[in-house]
Amino acid sequence: MLNRRDAFRGLALTMGMVSVGFAGPVAAALPPLAWTPAALNAEQARALDAAAELIVPKTDTPGAREAKVPQFVDRTIATYLDKTQGELLKSGLTQMDVDARAAHGKAFAELTSAQQTALLSRYDQEAAAARKAWKPRHFFSLLKEYVTIGYFTSEPGATLALRYEPVPGEYHGCIPLADVGKAWAL
Amino acid sequence: MMANLNGRSRQENTYDAIVVGSGISGGWAAKELTQKGLKTLVLERGPMVRHLEDYPTAMTDPWDTKYPQGKLPAAELKAQYPVQSRTGYTVTEYTKHFFVRDDENPYTEEERFDWIRSYQVGGRSLTWGRQSYRHSPMDFEANAREGIAIDWPIRYADLAPWYDYVERFIGVSGQNEGLAHLPDGQFQPPMEMNCVEKAFKSRVEGRFGERRITMGRAAHLTEPTEEQLSLGRSKCQHRNMCMRGCPFGGYFSSNSATLVAAERTGNLNLRPNSIVTSLIYDAKAGKASGVRILDSETMKEEEYYAEVIFLCASALNSTWILMNSTSSRFENGFGNGSDQLGRNVMDHHFRVGAKADVTEFADKYYSGRRPNGIYIPRFRNLGDAATKKDFLRGYGYQGGASRPGWDRDLAGEGFGADRKAAMSQPGPWTMSLGAFGEILPYEDNRVTLNHAAKDKFGLPTLSAKVTIRENEKAMRKDMQAAAVEMLEAAGFKNVQAADLGYAPGLGIHEMGTARMGRDPKTSVLNAHNQVHECTNVYVTDGAAMTSASCVNPSLTYMALTARAVDHAVQAKRKGDL
Repeated sequence: MLNRRDAFRGLALTMGMVSVGFAGPVAAALPPLAWTPAALNAEQARALDAAAELIVPKTDTPGAREAKVPQFVDRTIATYLDKTQGELLKSGLTQMDVDARAAHGKAFAELTSAQQTALLSRYDQEAAAARKAWKPRHFFSLLKEYVTIGYFTSEPGATLALRYEPVPGEYHGCIPLADVGKAWAL
Repeated sequence: MMANLNGRSRQENTYDAIVVGSGISGGWAAKELTQKGLKTLVLERGPMVRHLEDYPTAMTDPWDTKYPQGKLPAAELKAQYPVQSRTGYTVTEYTKHFFVRDDENPYTEEERFDWIRSYQVGGRSLTWGRQSYRHSPMDFEANAREGIAIDWPIRYADLAPWYDYVERFIGVSGQNEGLAHLPDGQFQPPMEMNCVEKAFKSRVEGRFGERRITMGRAAHLTEPTEEQLSLGRSKCQHRNMCMRGCPFGGYFSSNSATLVAAERTGNLNLRPNSIVTSLIYDAKAGKASGVRILDSETMKEEEYYAEVIFLCASALNSTWILMNSTSSRFENGFGNGSDQLGRNVMDHHFRVGAKADVTEFADKYYSGRRPNGIYIPRFRNLGDAATKKDFLRGYGYQGGASRPGWDRDLAGEGFGADRKAAMSQPGPWTMSLGAFGEILPYEDNRVTLNHAAKDKFGLPTLSAKVTIRENEKAMRKDMQAAAVEMLEAAGFKNVQAADLGYAPGLGIHEMGTARMGRDPKTSVLNAHNQVHECTNVYVTDGAAMTSASCVNPSLTYMALTARAVDHAVQAKRKGDL
């Protein structure tokens, strides 16, 4: 059972990380982030980097990380989303670390993939419940939306996970789905 | 005389003809006038848009957009495009340069009025919906038969050869159906219906004798003619990115077709950034001698002169020019002895219909992005008892079936490899029908000139007060019910009716503010689109329409324009102007 002091320590650590901006045990334990965030702090960016790959993982086609989806989401927060939505995503990413530390004593990005998946599953259920109850949107729902958009509009996502044909030439209205194999990107 | 405002001689600024506007009507006026040998000046208030060169987003891939899916941030829409964005589809990263900024182009909405505008060479011909239908004999006779407003001064037979002429040049793909209420035309091969649409057609036509399901008639080349190829146009490539400008010239626009043809005659002078502020009236001669412009770049005023002037600035802007052209002869607006100028604003009301899920054909799909859908011609009030309803006129449906892609449920449950795999497959088929209905001409649906509110050039602006009435509201109920009825008759599942609401203007088919008629006391234009009270001024855009029909209007503007130019050139030769 988490006592008051432990809880405070976790919080202090989080805050210290934010103010320092890098270093600390997280950075030491993981390879450096391959990109420089514009809207997120270093920890939010790490949490996003890990979560995006779990939302759209590498399979027989590239995953979110290879498609530079974390960068897309960061850029979307920096330039496109309104303040409320941006804050929802940022605070959600921070909450992921808070919850990870509370449960396992480590930042989200440092957890095992099974631990990460369990946490995201919890968020996914909360998001579905909020949606059903017409409650304010859960950050994970918004995160999934932009990770998904980022992925399927990326070059690897559009051209490998989907079928992309910029200049189809013809329209054929009734062909076997098997001949196409996947959904059209556009 | 006020000439020589910037030192040019009157002779230098004199042409055989002046065309105001370069959109779908102005482009046609330019082509016809120049091909008939008249030295023609085309004045366009917006900037130059050159075919191919000035379509900056035509080949942009999805991963090269600045914003997610090319959508603009809410703050930018609110600040710069609060009206233009009301459609939900017109103003995006891909297209915003083809629409006006509302913050720079003010007008007053006494009632909500969605005025969607494109100020550039080519106007809205670059961004139009491309659906191309003829008005029918019934459309030209309806006002007279029902005692609504005034009679059209022309009949279908007057315009039929001009429809032929225009369709052959622009290229319309479609299917002849032999219907009196949707006349056949000069069509290139129709695009193909998909599996679900074909099933819908056979099931609905089998059940309802009076209803026909046809392929949308769209101004896309499916079998280009020698003439079209010679202009540099080619077959539609089924990219469905038309509003960005088409690098293949696959759909008709002024930029890809009429202005190219006009340019080739050597008789065209196109002057962008030229806001025509008024017509110059020569009281002694009893005719217009030219136009005054404001150069939007240099802010200098200038005058241009011609024997014949075509106003093709779009319905409301041609009306604005007439209203702003006052003189001792025309104190209440140019040619406005009837007091009809600015009245009878019409549009098409829409955003009502139904959609359904289709559980069949799960193993079928399509390839290519068809920039077109199916069309269900009007089937109400066709003159017999069986089709008579409790409202006047009618409506047609545009619609289609498709399979949604990866973006069908972005916030839905799940994540990970299973969801990725599911979203990489098309979703189940859905089919939707959306109706477009006729709006009657009402005298008090009007725009007026507002001298109290000036734009950034110091020019007066328009004020609009337009509403739909009982007839349109009754029609909307039927538009929704009949859509449900047909989707159910086709055996589709989960049929859902919807009325998403409509505000005048949203159809982007403004019409009627300088209507044609037989009597100068009740109309602004005569049977040849000449201003009754000043016959060397022609108005051939949407302003001329005496009634709206329920079909998309651009084809009719083009036919009216070609016919009016033919009249003008003959009249000029005879010395009648």
